[in-house]
Amino acid sequence: MVLLLALSTSALGADNPLGSGPEVIAEGHALFNKLCTVCHGVDGVAGDRGPAMAASRRYLRRTDEELFHAIQDGIPGSQMPPMGISEDDVWKIVVWIRSERAKAIDVHVEGDRQQGSEVFWGKADCGRCHVVRGRGGLLGPDLTNLGARMSLKQIREALTVEKPHPPFGFRPVTVKTKEGRTISGVSKNEHNFSLQMIGDDDRLHLFARDEIDEITYADKSLMPTDYNERLSAAEYQNLMAFLSRLSLRGRDSE
Amino acid sequence: MRSEMSKDTSGLVRALRLLIVTGMLSVGLSAGEVTYEQLLDPPPENWLTYGRTYDSQRHSPLDQVNKENVGQLAPAWIFPMPGARRLESVPIVVDGVMYVSQPNEVYALDARAGRRIWSWRREPARQRGNNRGVAVLGNLVYVSTPDAHLVALDARTGSMVWESKIASAEDGYSSPAAPFAIDGKIIAGTAGGDNGLNGWLDAFDATTGERLWRFHTIPRPGEPGNESWAGDSWKTGGGATWLSGSFDPELNLLYWGIGNPAPDFDGEPRRGDNLYTESVVAVDADNGKLRWYFQFTPHDLHDWDSVEIPILVDAPYEGKMRKLMVHADRNGFYYVLDRATGEFLHGTPFIDKLNWATGLTEKGRPIRVPGVEPTLQGNFVCPSTSGATNWMSPAYNPATGMFYLAAKEGCGVSYKAKQEFRPGGFNYAATGYTESQEFPWQMFVRALNLTTGERKWEYKQVNSRAYGAGVVSTAGGLIFAGDDQGFFTALDAESGEPLWHFNTGTRISASPISYAVNGRQYLAVSSGVNVVAFALPPAAKD
Repeated sequence: MVLLLALSTSALGADNPLGSGPEVIAEGHALFNKLCTVCHGVDGVAGDRGPAMAASRRYLRRTDEELFHAIQDGIPGSQMPPMGISEDDVWKIVVWIRSERAKAIDVHVEGDRQQGSEVFWGKADCGRCHVVRGRGGLLGPDLTNLGARMSLKQIREALTVEKPHPPFGFRPVTVKTKEGRTISGVSKNEHNFSLQMIGDDDRLHLFARDEIDEITYADKSLMPTDYNERLSAAEYQNLMAFLSRLSLRGRDSE
Repeated sequence: MRSEMSKDTSGLVRALRLLIVTGMLSVGLSAGEVTYEQLLDPPPENWLTYGRTYDSQRHSPLDQVNKENVGQLAPAWIFPMPGARRLESVPIVVDGVMYVSQPNEVYALDARAGRRIWSWRREPARQRGNNRGVAVLGNLVYVSTPDAHLVALDARTGSMVWESKIASAEDGYSSPAAPFAIDGKIIAGTAGGDNGLNGWLDAFDATTGERLWRFHTIPRPGEPGNESWAGDSWKTGGGATWLSGSFDPELNLLYWGIGNPAPDFDGEPRRGDNLYTESVVAVDADNGKLRWYFQFTPHDLHDWDSVEIPILVDAPYEGKMRKLMVHADRNGFYYVLDRATGEFLHGTPFIDKLNWATGLTEKGRPIRVPGVEPTLQGNFVCPSTSGATNWMSPAYNPATGMFYLAAKEGCGVSYKAKQEFRPGGFNYAATGYTESQEFPWQMFVRALNLTTGERKWEYKQVNSRAYGAGVVSTAGGLIFAGDDQGFFTALDAESGEPLWHFNTGTRISASPISYAVNGRQYLAVSSGVNVVAFALPPAAKD
């Protein structure tokens, strides 16, 4: 809800007659899940036939106008048909898609960034695995542009909700080579015939499968998901303030 | 002067024709006409129909590439299809000429060199759906189009000879399947089932393009099976024919898999079994009349199209030679039927995670597990809507007696909502599905015993979750398979051991073929936007 209420009105064009209030977003959400899911997936997060509208990091259509026309007129040369719904309904879907796409840096977040930075490098020990502007460990994703890449909800979930499987490129793995060496780290890529990993020595190790004696995987990601418990409420909120402002956009919305 | 010249020219043409006819033009290759007799018994070097033979076994008799030398297999050429997206086309090869297609386009290539001979493009072109290949008969190449027409092209030049309408593009139809050539007829189908557009199978005169018969996949009022649809729901029932089929010339029966009912995820408006969706139908090739049907998923709620290619095999079953039809369905079960009568003989899951049925009855009807239907909030089901298998072709090797297929393990979450039908080709799925977080998708190549469905081996395609790549079997004792990581891999047909692989660099979403030109065997597959052909280096052939 924080995200919905704080969505900046300036993000939407003057042609939209409905505004971008929570009720418009909710109506757009319902319309989307009624009309669009077979191609774009429920909540627009994944689909076999159309792009994820609300979850991926790259969009072909960024402006309200572009989204509006894609929904109203279809996209020639693709499987996207004209939707044949009222202009108001098109706008509602546009507003909802935009709200889903809002990144953490676009919304107001309570907390003290400076103190959040101290939590990041100190008590929470995030820097052991994560890099921010060249400082930190290499096993986890680089967070330098985190606030511009992820929504606030996604960041919160990354800190508190355990995923059933480690994300691709970060699966913990231990390789025992035929030469008798043992290397632990995360798998960056793999197939039946090769494996590419970064070790906890922060070095790359590349193997052909026939050089490997044994591969052991861990079921869980190395990322802890109990930060809401291991940190105090204030520390957690300050960390959120710090993380949500990590951006390469070169602007500070606070 | 003028008349003399034309006399000279016509004399030269006559002489050239004679040379071609008598086979004396021995420099290079001359592509011949494809006769019905050749389609019945294709020369080993050619790949003349979608499944190579009418039984769709996808087994090439070529054995130059074998278990001993496959390690030396190397790319022979790569042909990037101009403007292509992800290709699903299965190439056809006739006497050294390869015909390969994408939506609205056909290319003829020199199958040794990978060089373009001609190309044809439909103008104006409508973009809708996919294209999975061409058919050949006589001197013509047949392709169906995104605007649901069947087009016949001159095999030598690519110029259009005739076109016929399969269905109305304005109504929203398209036609992605490779057409299917039999004696004097071309069979073509429709897509649009997810939009509530009823499907059919059409037969056209191969020479004139005149439509000879039509089989409606959704029975109309007064026809048997119409009672399996509540009220008027049959009118928007779907039942597309978006993949090719198989043919038994002795029984004169065409075997075709039929797509899903609509609305896909909401069964309320269409109570009943919803014939002939999610069925295989056996249709008389002379008149399009239904001989028998078998429904794999009555009243389907998960968009489990049953279009997967049926393979025809004559084999002993319980001590008696039977004319069998085997089919691995998107719903996760492998079926063995008597293809003369449609009698269900045997069925068993070919995936480990299947939660929607506890098994099949004696008649082959699934024993449903309640509580896995799509819901507003989403409901867990295995396999997912994306299916346990799909359009990628399976293969059968008579030497091993095994059926080979691309199988997908994993589950999904299916959602439903109320949706109204709208004419003109609009989505009528009544919502959709997502991949399960707990049981994400994983691709395998699996070998099954033909008559029992028992798993003989499996090859896990590490890191592959998206399907599309079928398999081809060769007399060299090999199975060739592709995956979404772009790897084209040779497996030992007996054991599933990987013997060779090549990283094509882009996702493979089509089924491979094998052919030979001038005594050299090739493997070819569409990968991403390329057609890639492989062969042994010349020195390694012997």
